[in-house]
Amino acid sequence: MNKELEHQFVKELENNQNIVHKVCTLYTNDRDSHNDLFQEITIQLWKAYPKFRGDSKFSTWMYRVALNTAITLYRKSKRSIKTQDYESVIFKIKADEYDETEEQHLKLMYKAVKQLGDIDKALVFLYLEDKDYREISETLGITEVNARVKMNRIKTKLRTILNP
Amino acid sequence: MMDELDLLKKDWQNKEEHLPKLSYNDIHTMLWKKSHSIVKWILIISILEFLLPHLLYLLPSMPESVIIYEKLGIKNIATGIWIMTYVVIFYFIYQFYKRYKEISLLDSAKDLMRKIIKVRRTVKHYVIFSLSALFLTCVMIIIGMYFSDNLMEIFPTDGPERTMAPEKFKSILIGSMAIISIGMIAVMAIIYFLLYGLLLRKLNKNYRELKRLEL
Repeated sequence: MNKELEHQFVKELENNQNIVHKVCTLYTNDRDSHNDLFQEITIQLWKAYPKFRGDSKFSTWMYRVALNTAITLYRKSKRSIKTQDYESVIFKIKADEYDETEEQHLKLMYKAVKQLGDIDKALVFLYLEDKDYREISETLGITEVNARVKMNRIKTKLRTILNP
Repeated sequence: MMDELDLLKKDWQNKEEHLPKLSYNDIHTMLWKKSHSIVKWILIISILEFLLPHLLYLLPSMPESVIIYEKLGIKNIATGIWIMTYVVIFYFIYQFYKRYKEISLLDSAKDLMRKIIKVRRTVKHYVIFSLSALFLTCVMIIIGMYFSDNLMEIFPTDGPERTMAPEKFKSILIGSMAIISIGMIAVMAIIYFLLYGLLLRKLNKNYRELKRLEL
């Protein structure tokens, strides 16, 4: 029974691991921290898995646990060193898909997003993942109106980071 | 700006192929790794806080202190404080357990943070309580010393203090007792607040930000 649950969980996570990787990408700056956070999220997901009833989609449920781990439970390990090359790997933008100015612009945008605070990042993350304001507000525990207000403020903040 | 963030959204959703890919086995081994979450740390530190003061009683010198209490004439009061302390400690352990169980990662970020802060508050009250109990015990001992006439018998010594005037011996003993008590309590308080301050810095910051949003 337990083995079956284990297999089922690992299989689901393997198929949906992109969500966790994206959270790790936003909240960490180097490969070691990325793996460290991924591991912590995996442990927390596994611990919470018996309570996952399947009345929501596995991926929906993952967003909440992953973000809660990143914002609340996770403590950055001391050894994390900011490495520049890592970001360029993760945020690699295919040259043939975009013209140069657009590519430059996107890089700047990603950089600006990485500079935001934990809560702001969570909002942007859910927005980029195409979640509606109802889900964003429920995940963070704020009202829908406030989620919209906050999102507008973040956009202004990003604009000032991009055009100082 | 709207267009720019939407442009980012389009790119964000297209770049999944650049993300790392872990195998079934990679993920499977992670299940058995130890968690380093702050909740885990709070639990470990709290258990230590509950246990450490009681380990002191295992020291061989502890039974002697009971005799000293008796000689100082504060045995009944000291026993009373002990019994009360244990009643309160069990209440704290029960509260802690109840609140700790309430922590769920399936809550919203704000609720999760609120519950963790509640657990921490229980521990904080416990620490304030035990430091106060310790302080009270020290005060009792000092008062007992003050009213005692035969301190040299209670605290036998072979050093040069033997020839000292009893009055002088008394004031030195009371003075050093007071300094040691205050120093010990201060050091414990500093360690405690530093530990939790560092551990929960991020959580407190994020919680404040979420709360500020709702004003």
